[in-house]
Amino acid sequence: MGDYQFHWLVVQQALPQMLKGAWVTLHVSLLSMLLGIIIAVFLALGKMSERKAVKIISNIWIEAARNTPVLFQIYMAYFGLGALNIHLSPYLSVLSALVFFNAGYLAETFRGGFQSIPPTQLAASRSLGMTRLKAYRYVILPQMFRRVYHPMTNQFVWSILLSSLGILVGMNDLSGETQRLQSLSYRTLEFFIVAAVMYYVMTKTILLLSGWVSKKMFTGDIS
Amino acid sequence: MKVLKRLLIAIVMVFFLGGFSSSSADKLDDVIKAGVLNCGVVADFPPMGYFDKDNKPVGFDCDYCLDLAGAMGVKANIINLTWGDRIPSLISGKTDVVIGSTSDTLERAKSVGFTYPYFVFKFQVISKKSSGIKKFDDLKNIKVGAALGTTYETEYFKYADAKGWGRSNYTSFKSENDAYLGLYQGKIDVLISTNTNIATKLATKEFKDYEAGPFVPNYDDVVGIIAKRNEVAWIDYLNLFLVHQIRDGNLDKRYKKHFGTPAPSELIQSLRDNK
Repeated sequence: MGDYQFHWLVVQQALPQMLKGAWVTLHVSLLSMLLGIIIAVFLALGKMSERKAVKIISNIWIEAARNTPVLFQIYMAYFGLGALNIHLSPYLSVLSALVFFNAGYLAETFRGGFQSIPPTQLAASRSLGMTRLKAYRYVILPQMFRRVYHPMTNQFVWSILLSSLGILVGMNDLSGETQRLQSLSYRTLEFFIVAAVMYYVMTKTILLLSGWVSKKMFTGDIS
Repeated sequence: MKVLKRLLIAIVMVFFLGGFSSSSADKLDDVIKAGVLNCGVVADFPPMGYFDKDNKPVGFDCDYCLDLAGAMGVKANIINLTWGDRIPSLISGKTDVVIGSTSDTLERAKSVGFTYPYFVFKFQVISKKSSGIKKFDDLKNIKVGAALGTTYETEYFKYADAKGWGRSNYTSFKSENDAYLGLYQGKIDVLISTNTNIATKLATKEFKDYEAGPFVPNYDDVVGIIAKRNEVAWIDYLNLFLVHQIRDGNLDKRYKKHFGTPAPSELIQSLRDNK
């Protein structure tokens, strides 16, 4: 230890490939987040639903997603389904596993958001003649999303970091590309440092952006 | 305050002396003094390294670790690594030496110290018997896979890029085992691996419908033992060890044990010639 010599040139030459990998990372986490949010709304409502079947399905999804490792979920999507002759590409396996994971986690967050809104509001909207759908669309959901905005950004950051597990099934994300590039030259430390910085820049940018957006969107109110 | 100052000086001196004495002894001294050789292998690559029934790493590379420790008169501590762990384990001092079928490219030799070659592999294709693959160019329009970060992956890319095949048909796997699982499940049509590993896999009943196909053109995979690049005396010792493995007949013995036949004379000759 202590006598390590850094070689940066080889990393510099590989930078375009790493950036390509970073793009895949952003891509898969953003998409998994968007799909996850949509499903999570239904899961949260499902868990609070009176109908037993809906409640059970939502509960199973949420429990499985929250209480098993993401690594395992990705493996299941790739090799688990593979045993049943359903072959997803590495990208689709990671995407579906992350959607599963995000939806499960966000559902619990959203449930908290829904429950923080007094039930009288729904009753009031209904008595004004709104359909249930309209009441959710115009009264409940906007308030709910405002309250869970910050936990949602955290989840996004998590998705970016967890997508690095895509390396397990050979996805060409930032981690996968880094792993491949370092094996050519064995400058492991240099490549991993640069990859870590790229992850940091991505997540930090998202946090700053979301902070800016929340300031613009939610003026003079909670959150 | 005085006591504190003396204490501080004492601590600084201990650090200085400690640093001084550790930098003057080299790896060879360290291993002999410690009485233990921390030897890294990749137990994901039969018959060079794999796990036996008792989940202990065994194989050709492990036996070389034992031979090396035996020659030095120390105990062998065999450490299982993934392909990607090999260099970090040397740099962090977790291993003293890695006998892990490491291809001796000049690019890698900028980062890590290589011994003379100790084995030569061929890269080959394994696929279902029904796939009808006769030559390497038949891989053009089918799904190909290999383990991530291996030399055969790099060689395949080189060939495929030169022929303009593109990479959309290619899948990489985190480990050799996962790659074979992918082939078995039908995620890929052909897998690129080494001739030795393929021969081992074909002997199992899971792969009875598979066959070894064409070799990757124009490439012999020559592998060396690796150690930290600046440990020149240590690498010298390892080189002499390899010379003795051939001279004392250990190479032949180990080869017979793991491959069932005497070591081919062209393998021994090319190792003698260091190529």
